Amino acid sequence: MAEPGNDTLVEHWKDEPAPLLPLLHAFHERDGYLSEEALRAVSRGLRIPIADLFGTVTFYHHFSRDAAGLDRPRVCNGPVCSMRGAEVLLASLRAAGHDPMTMPCPGRCDEPVPVIHRGTVLTGRTAGTLVSGPSPLPPVPPDGVEECVFAGIRAPGRPTLAGYRSQGGYEALEQAVTGMTPAEVVDVIDASGLAGRGGAGFPTGRKWRAVADAPGEPKTIVCNADEGEPGCFKDRVLMDHDPHGTIEGMALAAYATGAVRGFIYLRYEYPETCDILEGAIAAAAAAGLLGDGILGTDFRFDLMVRRGAGAYICGEETSLLNSLEGGHPFPRNRPPFPVTHGYENLPTVVNNVETLASAPPILVHGAEWYRGLGRADHAGTKVISLSGDIARPGNYEVPIGLPLRELLHGWAGGPPGGRAVQAVTMAGLSGGFLAGADLDVTLDEPSIRSKGSFLGAGGIMVFDDSRDMIRVTRESMEFFAEESCGKCFPCRIGTQRLVERLEGQGPRAVDAWVDEVVDLNEVMKKTSACGLGQAAPLLTESLIRYFPDRVRAHVEKG
Amino acid sequence: MKRNGTPSTNGKGVQLTMTLDGEKVAFTRGETVYEVAERHQKEIPTLCYDPRLEPFGGCRLCIVELEGARNPVASCTMKAEPGMRVRTRTAALEVQRRILMEMVASENRDTDVDPMHGYASQEMAELLDRYDARTGRFEGALSGESRPDDDNPFIKRDYENCISCYRCVRVCAEQEGDYAISVMNRGFHTQITTEFGGLLKDSACTFCGQCIQTCPTGALGDLKALANKDVPGETETTRTICPYCGVGCTVDVMTRGEKIVGVLPAMDGPANEGALCVKGQFAFDFVGHPDRLATPFIREEKSGQLRPASWDEALDFAAGKLRKVVKDHGRRAIYGIASGRAPHEAAYMMQRFIRAGLGTNHIDNCSRA
Repeated sequence: MAEPGNDTLVEHWKDEPAPLLPLLHAFHERDGYLSEEALRAVSRGLRIPIADLFGTVTFYHHFSRDAAGLDRPRVCNGPVCSMRGAEVLLASLRAAGHDPMTMPCPGRCDEPVPVIHRGTVLTGRTAGTLVSGPSPLPPVPPDGVEECVFAGIRAPGRPTLAGYRSQGGYEALEQAVTGMTPAEVVDVIDASGLAGRGGAGFPTGRKWRAVADAPGEPKTIVCNADEGEPGCFKDRVLMDHDPHGTIEGMALAAYATGAVRGFIYLRYEYPETCDILEGAIAAAAAAGLLGDGILGTDFRFDLMVRRGAGAYICGEETSLLNSLEGGHPFPRNRPPFPVTHGYENLPTVVNNVETLASAPPILVHGAEWYRGLGRADHAGTKVISLSGDIARPGNYEVPIGLPLRELLHGWAGGPPGGRAVQAVTMAGLSGGFLAGADLDVTLDEPSIRSKGSFLGAGGIMVFDDSRDMIRVTRESMEFFAEESCGKCFPCRIGTQRLVERLEGQGPRAVDAWVDEVVDLNEVMKKTSACGLGQAAPLLTESLIRYFPDRVRAHVEKG
Repeated sequence: MKRNGTPSTNGKGVQLTMTLDGEKVAFTRGETVYEVAERHQKEIPTLCYDPRLEPFGGCRLCIVELEGARNPVASCTMKAEPGMRVRTRTAALEVQRRILMEMVASENRDTDVDPMHGYASQEMAELLDRYDARTGRFEGALSGESRPDDDNPFIKRDYENCISCYRCVRVCAEQEGDYAISVMNRGFHTQITTEFGGLLKDSACTFCGQCIQTCPTGALGDLKALANKDVPGETETTRTICPYCGVGCTVDVMTRGEKIVGVLPAMDGPANEGALCVKGQFAFDFVGHPDRLATPFIREEKSGQLRPASWDEALDFAAGKLRKVVKDHGRRAIYGIASGRAPHEAAYMMQRFIRAGLGTNHIDNCSRA
């Protein structure tokens, strides 16, 4: 079959919602890169100034502007994969005749080292042993621990519509659209205590109510599936093995808020997930669970997947919206917030995958049930992605309030080889490190925030006592420097200066070094425009707090 | 462009007020905290701010403390709300601003540039002085890659002095509507670019020069003015109106002695608000050009050759010919066109001469096109 021409591709997408990213992907996949000719065709077709389009394309890590660039295997060199031999794999790929490039964490930390090649995720340690396969299912929790989003995920057939429905799937949606008012749905979510599971922890019920009450139509539900935080791979497992859970959650959010359209903004690094979601959406639409007249009512909700192209900042909700709209993915200034001025400046719910997937079970079992899943006074559960020096890495849905040590040692088997935990990261990398006595925290925001960190999206990387924490910090800070969008000064300059100081540059006296790093930390935390720049310095802050002797040795070694 | 109007009310006749550094002040709905503070002479520092552009929130120097907010907020993007309590200059804010300035200084090759670079070119240097931030701290890689290969005669592209405030990109889009430049890459590697990284002449650039005039560091420079930077004498400016067309852009013409050394747009020009086009901004060389005529010439009827003449002779000659045309063909046979490169006074005299002197309204100016 002949390849589609430029005009065919442009005509296919130009009147679709949020057309830029899918159109660019279509050219990228057709040609193996984004040629000048392709960008000029897109610029004309979508009426985007060519300079803007060119600049925006360069923002995304995975869009290649060099011929055959898409053929280059992309190898994760994040902090966990670096410990697991990313360099060896890169060398092995070069020896096998490839021209590999590195990429930031693609969310496969439970199976290091991942490689993305031509739209397929492979894992392995050498060029000859790379294999593709489904992402690992979550380990089974200890006896007696009840789950919410993972409760049905291990059942055979769960990803199919029939499998999902056989376990009671879409009953929550049916219950809502046939027997509840939108306000009643919001009330249940509100009463459950569910809060944003993507990291920010904003109460979900309040967000839904704000959108329901906001003037302006059409309203939009955006599922933030741009799981870019290093060490986080929970949304992937939810979408891969239980796609209808997220879809049903989005439909519930739409019903509750009066939204008629939805987007799943899926990160580039999850290509197989894209196929799974699109298949599930088609199946749900064919069964009358999406589209017009859902379940025989007049409720209408259209759902589309849009793929990112490799930019951590697009997990920040306002950058995500700019990306979706085809603009430069800088974060927006807030207020106004997306609940009133979101997609196309209209009221929009932006929720994380895990948050949305929690909604159906909450509606079925009730708010009290969900609240009761947490320990002590804490409501509900949180999925933790555990990776690094740990016997059983993977995704664990824990009761909020579970002691960290219980998860590390009781659930996941502790560090292998009889080693001790030296430090763990929190919130992927965004929460910096916890170490020493501070490992006695419980997994809930008040406890972790009291140590100057936060739980966030729930990624925890474990580093045993053999690891060089300066190196770990440097590799982590390199991630933030690489991903800083460049909009605000403290983050753009600060991440770069912190990397340089972790590389051994900067003052050669420890007091002066610490003085500079502390000033950078403080200014970034206090004045950065978004969470990236505010969170990145937690790495260096906690490094100085827990490992002052290592810092001294690093600075003074000359 | 935003203008500060009379403070507005809440619809029930009650004036909207907020507290600024302990003082209750009135504001207009829609005003930002920065604009309110400016009206009260708070002199909040900024680098990415240009009052003509949409607030951006990039440099973070305009942070203020807002009661109830965990972190300082950027005053340029924060709308004033009734009852807000804001502090614009605390010890903590000043420390943060100083560190930010030290960070900005650390990424540039030069922190001091010749003022002939452009209207706003001293902004960064002035803030470095104000915050005593030339400390050399945070030394490290420099950002930005200059484009000495761009051989256009108007705009110097010296991005090693760029601080990524994107005022140039925004003025190009929001004021000029050209969208000729944009931002490529991310983070410390951001770079101002044209489409595909090419030269300005191959882009949508119209060389209006607005990017130069809003640049706060001299990363963009006015090459025409910089060519005169060593002309001796103090720079004087003369406020006038650009003669090239009917828009009537206000300009401040820079002179040293008898020589025009450059043109600055007037930010308060009612017709242009700081905007100019390539002609008004850069096309002033003709004034002192050696090819200009220094004496009248008369074309000999027989030979068709030009010969120098005195003013009296030339004027008598012209008057005689004009009289003859009127006599033979009537006054409406005369059509006068004034040159856009002539001074306004000459243009005025020209239309008086055509209208009052010859009695016809057939008078135009070449810049009307």
